[in-house]
Amino acid sequence: MARAIWSGSISFGMVSIPVKLYGATESKDISFNLLHATCGTRLQQRRWCPTDEVEVPWNETARGYEYARGQYVVLTEEDFERLPLPSKHTIELSAFVEEKEIDPVFYERSYYLEPADRAEKPYALLLKALEQRGLTAVATITIRKKEQLCAIRAHDGTIMLETLYYPDEIRTERGMNLSNVKVSDRELEMAFTLIDIFRKPFDPGEYHDHYREALAELIEAKLEGKEVVQAPAARSTRVLDLADALKRSVEAAKKDQAKPKPPARARSRSRTTRRTRTAG
Amino acid sequence: MTQVGAEIGSVLDQLEARQPKMVLTIDEYTLPLTNLDKVLWPGAGRKGGFTKRDLLRYLTLVSPWLLPHLKGRPMFTTRYPDGVTGKSFYQKHWDKPPAFARTVTIYSSHNEGDSDYLICDNLATLLFLAQMGGLELHPWFSRVDTLPDARGKSKKFSGSEENLERSVLNYPDFVVLDLDPYLYSGREGKGEEPELHRKAFRQTCDLARRLRDLLASLGLEIFVKTSGRTGLHLYLPIVRKFDYDASRTIAETIGRYALQQWPGEVTLEWAVVRRTGKIFFDYNQNSRGKSLASILCPRRHPLGTVSMPVEWDQLDQIYPTDFTLRTVPGLLEEHGDPWENILSAKQDLAQLLESRGAV
Repeated sequence: MARAIWSGSISFGMVSIPVKLYGATESKDISFNLLHATCGTRLQQRRWCPTDEVEVPWNETARGYEYARGQYVVLTEEDFERLPLPSKHTIELSAFVEEKEIDPVFYERSYYLEPADRAEKPYALLLKALEQRGLTAVATITIRKKEQLCAIRAHDGTIMLETLYYPDEIRTERGMNLSNVKVSDRELEMAFTLIDIFRKPFDPGEYHDHYREALAELIEAKLEGKEVVQAPAARSTRVLDLADALKRSVEAAKKDQAKPKPPARARSRSRTTRRTRTAG
Repeated sequence: MTQVGAEIGSVLDQLEARQPKMVLTIDEYTLPLTNLDKVLWPGAGRKGGFTKRDLLRYLTLVSPWLLPHLKGRPMFTTRYPDGVTGKSFYQKHWDKPPAFARTVTIYSSHNEGDSDYLICDNLATLLFLAQMGGLELHPWFSRVDTLPDARGKSKKFSGSEENLERSVLNYPDFVVLDLDPYLYSGREGKGEEPELHRKAFRQTCDLARRLRDLLASLGLEIFVKTSGRTGLHLYLPIVRKFDYDASRTIAETIGRYALQQWPGEVTLEWAVVRRTGKIFFDYNQNSRGKSLASILCPRRHPLGTVSMPVEWDQLDQIYPTDFTLRTVPGLLEEHGDPWENILSAKQDLAQLLESRGAV
């Protein structure tokens, strides 16, 4: 198991459970290094001061907040230390809510919580309680100097912690305006038909990052000096009857033509709206 | 010699004159031609590329096979005034079309008013387009004539979008499937489209054949042509009972089915980067005003290739570069056009599916 990225304790009421935090997800993006194209040397990043024309060592750096263009207020390590962070080593539970009350937009990152030494008992107790009530706890945790909102829930025999965005971190402004767009019953009917055809249970195992796989293959092939080879196709086990699917779409289309179409004017207005937005 | 033959003979004779410009006489019309020795496909042929004169000669030779496929169809063209290596742009409307060109007035939601579209019904119009550098011909999938399978449909195309939607131009003759391989050879420059290479083309043919078998199992016959570039165009001729919305839904349904059957090979993705390594199944061309490059249409490919109709049992033996401005007239002369009867092979999709008694 990877190294814990945080340790502390869950605290609610009089109870305190020592735990360790592990990342539950990892990005498998393939990363590249920037090279000098002519000689293939890996480029270095240097902290460069254009005023003194020197390279600056870490111990001569400071963090500045730009409050106006080119104007900074400087914060030192001591300044940061003085900040009130009540949940520095604790996960403070403040409320229990239903999981579905938290919209997916709030979720940031997922972590596993594991009990520290000799904390198995209270950990198991909290896990069981959350499982049986089917509730999620809202809490705060400080990771890397940042106090974060988080949700604590039982998942597959483990307590999970998901960091959440604060409400003011969720963007609410949206550019679109659909109030002029008319959707007719027949169009909706066609959409339903397509949705029904492809309705199935969510199986994450079916999905792969094809771009990454192709990229990895390309790298492999380059290493071996070979041509890029195509991965053999995985044949879907779920066979859908094309005749049935076509028949349904054809029927939806026919219904389509039987029904009077919405007035063209209403539709062209919605088109105009769209165009104006693109132009702007 | 037939009248058509005589006309072709006369044009070819006139093109033989080794002058860079001339006034061509076709029937009672005249067409000024300029820059006849301008190279449009620098990399093609054995000596110095294909010129505008080669293009005009090609179009004249194939016109007996090409014109029937353009008949009655509003069209637009992709113009390459400086040849296939230069800039290109679409032209949909012509302010002053020549007297011999047929036009049709159609409501354009984009222009919010009526616009004139060209219909390429005769050799003179075809050569006029070539003179303007319009190498690629994009005829609509619907046409202005109602006979025989759209009897009674309106022929009023102008005035409003509603008129156009009710008209026969909203009822395509074909459901089209555009197979575009995003299989890179590895020799492409950064950001370039995948180039034509054997492996990708074979894989595309293989997918096309499976789609053909799939549709054949439903009793449907589909036609195939090379795109003239890297992919294949499949046309399913249908009785004009369905509008473009329906034809697009049908194509999309086939596409989604293909994706489900062969997820490792097929993609319907919009983002080009996600198409990498797969064959893009494009159903979106089934839309009024959209089009694929016509059958026998010259393409933007260095070797001067054209979009060539092929017999299914020949698909294994052909390669897109077999079909160029140089080779195609002879091939047509010898074997004819496998798509000649495509409009007589129309299928009543609704009836077929009903007779199968599918759910």
